[in-house]
Amino acid sequence: MQLLISSVCMALTSAVIGNAYYQKQQFYPAVVYITKSNASMAVIYIQFFVIVFMFGKLLRKIFLGTLRAAEFEHLLERFWYALTETCLAFTVFRDDFNPRFVALFTVLLFLKSFHWLAEERVDFMERSPVLGWLFHIRVGSLLTMLGILDYVLLMHAYNSTLVRGPTVQLVFGFEYAILLTVIASTAIKYVLHAAEMRTDTPWENKAVFLLYTELVIGLIKVILYLLFVIIMAKIYALPMFVFRPMFFTIRNFRKALNDVIMSRRAIRNMNTLYPDATPEELRQSDNICIICREDMVNHSKKLPCGHIFHTTCLRSWFQRQQTCPTCRLNILRAPALPRAAEEPVNAAAAPAAAAAQTGVAAAVNVAANTLPGAAAAAATDARLPQANGNAGRNPIFLPNFAELFGNANNIPNALSNPPPAMLPPFMSQPPFAYFTPPIGPPPPMPSDLTRFSDAELLAMEGTQRKHIEERLKMLRNTMLMLDSASILMQQYQGLMARLPPPTIPLPTAAGTAAATATTAADVPTVEPTAAAAASVYDTAASTSRAAAAAAEATAQQISVTATNSKTEQVTIEDLGAEEDDLPSTEAASLDVETEDSSELSELRKRRLKFLEERNKSPNSSDTTD
Amino acid sequence: MAGSALRRLMAEYKQLTMDPPEGIAAGPISEDNFFEWEALIAGPEGTCFEGGVFPARLVFPPDYPLSPPKMKFTCDMFHPNIFADGRVCISILHAPGDDPMGYELSAERWSPVQSVEKILLSVVSMLAEPNDESGANVDAAIMWRERREEFNRIAQRLVRKTLGLPT
Repeated sequence: MQLLISSVCMALTSAVIGNAYYQKQQFYPAVVYITKSNASMAVIYIQFFVIVFMFGKLLRKIFLGTLRAAEFEHLLERFWYALTETCLAFTVFRDDFNPRFVALFTVLLFLKSFHWLAEERVDFMERSPVLGWLFHIRVGSLLTMLGILDYVLLMHAYNSTLVRGPTVQLVFGFEYAILLTVIASTAIKYVLHAAEMRTDTPWENKAVFLLYTELVIGLIKVILYLLFVIIMAKIYALPMFVFRPMFFTIRNFRKALNDVIMSRRAIRNMNTLYPDATPEELRQSDNICIICREDMVNHSKKLPCGHIFHTTCLRSWFQRQQTCPTCRLNILRAPALPRAAEEPVNAAAAPAAAAAQTGVAAAVNVAANTLPGAAAAAATDARLPQANGNAGRNPIFLPNFAELFGNANNIPNALSNPPPAMLPPFMSQPPFAYFTPPIGPPPPMPSDLTRFSDAELLAMEGTQRKHIEERLKMLRNTMLMLDSASILMQQYQGLMARLPPPTIPLPTAAGTAAATATTAADVPTVEPTAAAAASVYDTAASTSRAAAAAAEATAQQISVTATNSKTEQVTIEDLGAEEDDLPSTEAASLDVETEDSSELSELRKRRLKFLEERNKSPNSSDTTD
Repeated sequence: MAGSALRRLMAEYKQLTMDPPEGIAAGPISEDNFFEWEALIAGPEGTCFEGGVFPARLVFPPDYPLSPPKMKFTCDMFHPNIFADGRVCISILHAPGDDPMGYELSAERWSPVQSVEKILLSVVSMLAEPNDESGANVDAAIMWRERREEFNRIAQRLVRKTLGLPT
């Protein structure tokens, strides 16, 4: 097709030139003849474009080789946009419209296409598996050539504007300045990519460098566009033809700015809030960062939920989403709790923590304001993290637990040292976690939702403000019930997942459990799914007394708190099904109970020791804000 | 060292080749572009798509795995969760935050821990159990709900078509 067009064009041109020579016989009259004839000029113009096109193809062959399909598609798309913008620009400069002007615009478009292609090529560097030396030579020479051309043309436009005042050269000067920034950013990206390729390890800070490059170049471009629009509006008319690229530039700049802000925040959070994963933790996990699927040798971070990732992988993810990639725990809200739990437990710290907890609870829960007893519940809850922090030391905590345990299934309570309740203070989703006391008053329950009195229904009917408020209140109550139900479920699952698997020898298991009590992290195979929890439950219940006790504590707690919500009844039924096989295992394990309880006291001792050591050693996360 | 997206895709390709899940085959279309994959999905047994082998194309973004890939069946499909042009509409392929159908839970959305294998397994289970609430193909959704026999017949015809048998 292209071949056909160019050969037809060639033939036409030869015909036109031949005809002129045939008629005039001499060079000068022939030239005059061609320029006077419109048809001949049209053919010559078309020939000119064909030659430019062919020249472009030649250059492309030299500098880029064959284009990929995506590259060609992008080129075509941008080319058409640029062409329409050029036509718009013609309308502003219709007075100086002449062949020279058209030629200059053709050169501009021609150069622009190569800038885009170079940009695409360099962007593709990161994604292509093999790059030979030819690629580097090509890109290097292309970038140099384009840079020099841009500079020369910019200088030409600048000088001509200085000499002759503002003409159409203003537009060209501005366009080449923009192209120069494009070349600059492409070159920087190329250098960064090439530098990364030379090393064998991933270059961690490359993403940050790229971000800042994008930001600076974006800023320069925005300033250039604004200057150009102001100058143009003063001298000619409002330059419609730069609005589209300007819009995209501003949008990109905003995105870059946003990215930089988010990245900085992510880095700050990572450096202050989350501890580095220790070699032991890495050994316990499968040592693969699930984001990039590569080994974690160094620079890994542990999130409050216990999942471990590469620092760089996490940083790039946190630029988009502030959640744990695995369990989607909101990491920006979660960190408040672990710190509260990790604070050195003493009399002075407890009231402060309680105050903080109450404050948070009151702030985040709107529903609390409408419900009686919520404040009381919050106050009780506030004790929970602290109680978990030094579980086993807190004497108030134990009788309640034993009582609960004894009541759970009417079995003899033979444990002199019940295991410390390992309720996860921050496994659960933030705001409502504060609202689930393991013991004490159940979450505030709104009135029966299955039946409404006429007065209640009347209050919710109608379209007036108070009716709507009434309805909203009802919805909030429902939401609260659902949330408390899901938190109970989460606590139950967390408990189950936390229990040491029976296959591990008990000393290590106890050590692990002690470590997890405050950080809720180290247990291998913590998977917040019901299935996982259930499987752990089954295995644990058959061998470990602690498992049975803890499970019943949760079950009991749910039956205490659940009153009249349908959702919660379902939860109870679910649990009940699992509970059915409990008595048998308990009966079977009664004879080993004394041994178990000694193991449990061992566990408590370990935990106490752990906490003491912890309080002595300065904690890095205590210094955070 | 190549880019992180490329390394991850290579790792996934290796893993899928070494230990392929049943009824799924996937890999880059050409070895010099790891960002476009072709996948073959066998219709799950015991469903109306049983016996079929459905080709699909996966296009990965440059920032994979931070953004999800796009998936499109390259054969004719008639399914409530597949658009008429073959694009697959399941929540695992949607980044959190954009919700074309307005009902998906963020827990089901894309996250970097997902993988090609998980996507393809989700697609297999989507073939087995269409979600008729998401109306990527409303006609198919209605037919699946109300005229199951007709739906099964169309599916069987598609199966025969993918196998190159006369329909």
